[in-house]
Amino acid sequence: MRMKPIRVLIAKPGLDGHDRGALIIAQALRDHGMEVIYTGLRQSAVQIARAAIQEDVDVVGLSSLSGAHKSLFPKVVQALEEQGASDIPVVGGGVIPAEDIPFLEEKGVNKIFTSGSPTDAIALYIKQLLNKETIEAPKRIAHIGIAVESIDAALPFYQHNLHLELEAVEVVESEQVRVAFLKIGETMFELLEPLSDDSPIQSFLTKKGEGVHHIALEVDDLTKRLEQYKEQGVRLIHEQPKQGAHDSQIAFLHPKAANGVLFELCQHGEEE
Amino acid sequence: MNTSSSDQHPKQKWEKDVEKTTERFPERKKAFHTSSEIPVERLYTPEQMDEDYIEEIGFPGQYPYTRGIQPTMYRSRYWTMRQYAGFGSAEETNERFRYLLKQGQTGLSVAFDLPTQIGYDSDDPMADGEVGKVGVAIDSLKDMEQLFDQIPLDKVSTSMTINAPASILLAMYIAVGEKQGVAPEKLTGTIQNDILKEYIARGTYIYPPKPSMRLITDIFGYCQEHLPKFNTISISGYHIREAGSTAVQEVAFTIANGMAYVDAAIEAGLEVDQFAPRLAFFFNAHNQFFEEAAKFRAARRMWAKIMKEHYGAENPKSWKLRFHTQTGGSTLTAQQPDNNIVRVTLQALAAVMGGTQSLHTNSRDEALALPTEDSARIALRTQQIIANESGVADTIDPLAGSYYVESLTDQIEKEANAYLDRIKEFGGAVQAVEEGYMQREIHKAAYDAQKRIESNEDIVVGMNEYKLEEEIHADLLRVDEALEQAQIKKTQDVRSSRDQESVNHCLKNLREAAKGKENVMPHIVAAVKVYATVGEIANVLREEFGEYTGM
Repeated sequence: MRMKPIRVLIAKPGLDGHDRGALIIAQALRDHGMEVIYTGLRQSAVQIARAAIQEDVDVVGLSSLSGAHKSLFPKVVQALEEQGASDIPVVGGGVIPAEDIPFLEEKGVNKIFTSGSPTDAIALYIKQLLNKETIEAPKRIAHIGIAVESIDAALPFYQHNLHLELEAVEVVESEQVRVAFLKIGETMFELLEPLSDDSPIQSFLTKKGEGVHHIALEVDDLTKRLEQYKEQGVRLIHEQPKQGAHDSQIAFLHPKAANGVLFELCQHGEEE
Repeated sequence: MNTSSSDQHPKQKWEKDVEKTTERFPERKKAFHTSSEIPVERLYTPEQMDEDYIEEIGFPGQYPYTRGIQPTMYRSRYWTMRQYAGFGSAEETNERFRYLLKQGQTGLSVAFDLPTQIGYDSDDPMADGEVGKVGVAIDSLKDMEQLFDQIPLDKVSTSMTINAPASILLAMYIAVGEKQGVAPEKLTGTIQNDILKEYIARGTYIYPPKPSMRLITDIFGYCQEHLPKFNTISISGYHIREAGSTAVQEVAFTIANGMAYVDAAIEAGLEVDQFAPRLAFFFNAHNQFFEEAAKFRAARRMWAKIMKEHYGAENPKSWKLRFHTQTGGSTLTAQQPDNNIVRVTLQALAAVMGGTQSLHTNSRDEALALPTEDSARIALRTQQIIANESGVADTIDPLAGSYYVESLTDQIEKEANAYLDRIKEFGGAVQAVEEGYMQREIHKAAYDAQKRIESNEDIVVGMNEYKLEEEIHADLLRVDEALEQAQIKKTQDVRSSRDQESVNHCLKNLREAAKGKENVMPHIVAAVKVYATVGEIANVLREEFGEYTGM
């Protein structure tokens, strides 16, 4: 955990005089316990870089509403680099068309927040950025779970018609379920058969019948990720990792968090 | 109290005024009626009008102008439809202007780029990346000549959003007029020239407040003599509101600034009835329909009372608050931009209900970029539909007498007056600005509004509720990045082909005038005519006046 408060420089590069947004962000970040320095209007890239170094800030936030962001934001990144401060990340916001964002990110701006971004999300991003906890996208689809009445009855289609290879069959006591894994490319199908009426799979079958049950995503930071999702208000079924099939740690997100899709996060082997 | 100079009843006086007005500006139709053939009267009033009613609400075209400043309002002429435009080079903007005039727009409104607004030439290092971005780049008279090419300045009125260097751009406008053979006294239009709101909200200041106020009173003095039909200032609440103020703060701070200009002009030795008739105002229109309409009515009544009772102005033209309205840019969302057309319609309707003299309707894509030609046309069509199809312009001040609207009008006036009292305690608007009072009040209101949106206490459709997966908007107006280099080359060519000795001479004279008390305007006019640039002229004044560095 960081002990010192995060220090932020909010800067207005160029000649643009609209600072309502910059002032609101500054205030919101202060409310999140950060120390914020606002440069005032009409700062050159070099002035901003100098202020960032003198004030010993952890991050620089740029605001532009005049359309000059493509020229000005990269210049600030460059000025920081030239003054030996390329470790200070730069984020930006303002009136910025979506198709300019890849260009700005390529030029070294860490993230662009466009009009309508909640201030809480900006504060959270900065916190995560500085704690080096930025969540990466999940690596791949680990498996697609399919609920069946009976694995033995379902297997022939997968084995003899699709010609998939049966990898393993095992029992997960905690979920009262028997599972069969069939490999397909980099991912797998997981057939799920309930072992008792208490099994969640049984209640799924009763409500919806056989069919796709969940999609499992491979991650390598399960505990941390669950904490961050919780902080971001993502609804979770499991707030802590639990033992899953195949020697894995798993947790389910609530389907309400993802437009009705049940996602499982799973991590194989040791956590990093 | 009888407010007219004669002993006539106000109603009879109004009827006479209507007769006189309709001789010059006949009504649009012989008779107005609804779809069901119900006749639409010019004006609806209560059966009984007591003294209080006459004093506070009265008749259109009569003090205190609560119901509007003309006796027939939109029955004779619609408001001026004036779309703010300008981007890139003078040639491109000239093309857009001529397109808009052809589409039925009735006045021009020039947007300048930021370097021009802050008195830098396009080749100044400070202008890097900003040339032609938010408006047209003007460096020398050459650019201004191209901007108004084939647009006869005696036929259009032009509004210029220019503040700190207003004197320079006005001088260029005079010079272009002369080249077209139009004498200065025939020029009509408006310069924004409102520096106080730049310190408060908009940020394109150059000089400290005192010399800035002097530049403004120099313009007042010069125009009184040479450009009697030109509005010398547009005292602007628009940007105060965009910075996050409430409707009450918008009225209060704008009127406080207006009083500061009147005070400065009187102190500079001008006669109130000489300059006050050329003061114009510029307000915002946001979404809360009734409050906005009431705001305009309250502002009119407040200004009339202040001019008559506080400053003792005797010319009724000095009492009338004439204003331009622009719909609220900060109310537009980047999400689902077509929804903005609906917001703009509501806001424009509120401005018309409030009796605006001219109107700019924003384009749907302004939260994303400068408007495309299509978007700009829809925005203009919005006004044309309100004017021609809705029937709201067929009777004067149709919201008058609504318990709600009259009560809001009174309440806004009362709360704005409370702010004026507080500003008076600071010693006036200039002092209040220097101490950051208005800035703090606005920031507080802006932050509270943001919190209400983030907690979903306030719903913004498409942004925090009723959301869609967002598509990418490829169809945005882009300013060509090569323009900056072309503009720099053009200005350098002007510099190498002009008579440099004359330029030096004019700039020297300007410097002498700036040092003393002489009016600087004639010297600026002389300098632009020999192609001295905006940056060169502004820099002479920077050296003499110093620069404002912010709070």
